[in-house]
Amino acid sequence: MTLSSVGTTFAVTLFAALILQLIPLPENFIYWRPDFLLLVTVGWIIFSSDSLGIVFAGLMGLLADFIFGSPTGLHMLLFAMVGAIPLFLSGWLTYFTLAHRCGFIFCLAVFYQLMSNIFFSLWALPVNYEYILVVALISSLIWPLLDRLLSAVNYKY
Amino acid sequence: MLAHSYTKLLEPVELVFEAAIVPAYTVAAVPIRFGRWFAALFSNRQDLQTENERLKQENLIHRGQIQRMANLAAENLRLRLLLNATELFLDKVLVTEVIGVSPTPKRHTLIIDRGRNDNVYVGQPLLDAEGLMGQIISVHDNHSIGLLITDSTHAIPVQVLRNGLRSIAEGTSDYNQLRLRFLSSTADIKLGDELVSSGLGERFPPGYPVGKVTNVDPSLGSDFVEVTVSPKAKIDRSKHLLLVFTSENDVFQEVQE
Repeated sequence: MTLSSVGTTFAVTLFAALILQLIPLPENFIYWRPDFLLLVTVGWIIFSSDSLGIVFAGLMGLLADFIFGSPTGLHMLLFAMVGAIPLFLSGWLTYFTLAHRCGFIFCLAVFYQLMSNIFFSLWALPVNYEYILVVALISSLIWPLLDRLLSAVNYKY
Repeated sequence: MLAHSYTKLLEPVELVFEAAIVPAYTVAAVPIRFGRWFAALFSNRQDLQTENERLKQENLIHRGQIQRMANLAAENLRLRLLLNATELFLDKVLVTEVIGVSPTPKRHTLIIDRGRNDNVYVGQPLLDAEGLMGQIISVHDNHSIGLLITDSTHAIPVQVLRNGLRSIAEGTSDYNQLRLRFLSSTADIKLGDELVSSGLGERFPPGYPVGKVTNVDPSLGSDFVEVTVSPKAKIDRSKHLLLVFTSENDVFQEVQE
C-alpha cells in the first residue's frame, strides 16, 4: 500500500464513521448504536501506532464532543484515556488472532462505556448502564470488518 | 471542560465547529430521504387517493375548529380590552424542517433548516402540530440547533389546564416522559390532566399544549408527589416544525382596525 492510499483509506474510514454515527435511528435502536468514532480511532491506533497515538485519539474525541453536544473536552479526555490502552498494547495486539482482538474490543468498549457514564454523572448528564454490554457486543461483532480493512491497508506500508 | 462549564471562552470556537459539522448531518440524512423517496415512488394511485381523502377530511375538521377558535379568540380579546389588560400576544409562525438529530440518546437536540437569515433567535419556541417541542439554543446563518423539552437540562413552566395549578416540567432524557417535581402532596392534580405552558419566565408563550399527566405517585412519607407527564408533541417523530414569533402590538392594531 502506498502512502496516498493509506491516507485515502484513513479519510474514508473517518468519514464513514462520522456518517454512521450521525444517521438518524429510531428511538429503540439509538441505544444500541456503537461508538463508530471510537472504533475507527482504536483501529488506526492498533494498526498504525507508530504515527497515530493519544493526540489523534484526543482530536477524535474533540470531534465527538462537537457532534454529541457534550462539554468540550469530555470526550477528548475519554478518547485519549481509552486510546492509550491499544497504543501501549499495539505491539501485542497486532499478533493477536482476530477473535482475540474482538474480545479486546469488547473489553475496551465496556471500559469506555463505564468511564463515559462516570464522567457524564460528574457533569450531571444522564447516564445509562442498561445497554453497556449490548453496545460492547455489537462493537465487537462489527470489529472484524474494520480489522480486515485496516490490517490489509497497513500490511505492506 | 472547566472552561466550557464556567466561562464563555470556548463559545466562538464551538459555534464555528457546530456550523462545520452540519454538512455531515445533511449527508447522514441522505439514506432516510432516499428511503422516503423510494417509498413514494412505489406508492400506488389508490393509496394516494385514500390519503388525499383523509387529508381533505382532516382539513375540514381543522377549519371548523379554527372558526370556533377565532370566535373564542375574538371574545377573549374583547373581554381583555374591557379589563384594560395589557399582555396580549399574537403569535406568528415559520415552518421549518428537521435536518439532523443528536446521535446520542443522552442529549436531545435537533438541527433545523432556518437560521439567522430567517430572523431565528436564541430562546425561540419550537412547536410541532401537537404541542411544544423545545427552544432554540444556537443560531447560525442558515440553520439552528434546538433543545427539546425532554432533554435532562431543560425545564418549562407549565400549568394544569383544568385548574391553573402551576409547576415546572423537567426533561428526563426519555422521549416519552417529562416529570413534575416538588408538587405538594395535597396538590389538585390527577391522571389525564392536560398541561399547557404558563408563560412564566417569558421564554415560552402561554397556552401551548405541553403534555398529559400519565402517573401521579404520592410516595408515602414524602412531602411531595412525583408526577409523570407524556409530552403532547411527537418529540422523536415530527419532521416539520413551527418556529413561533411573538409580538405584543399586532393584536391591538388589529382590534383598532
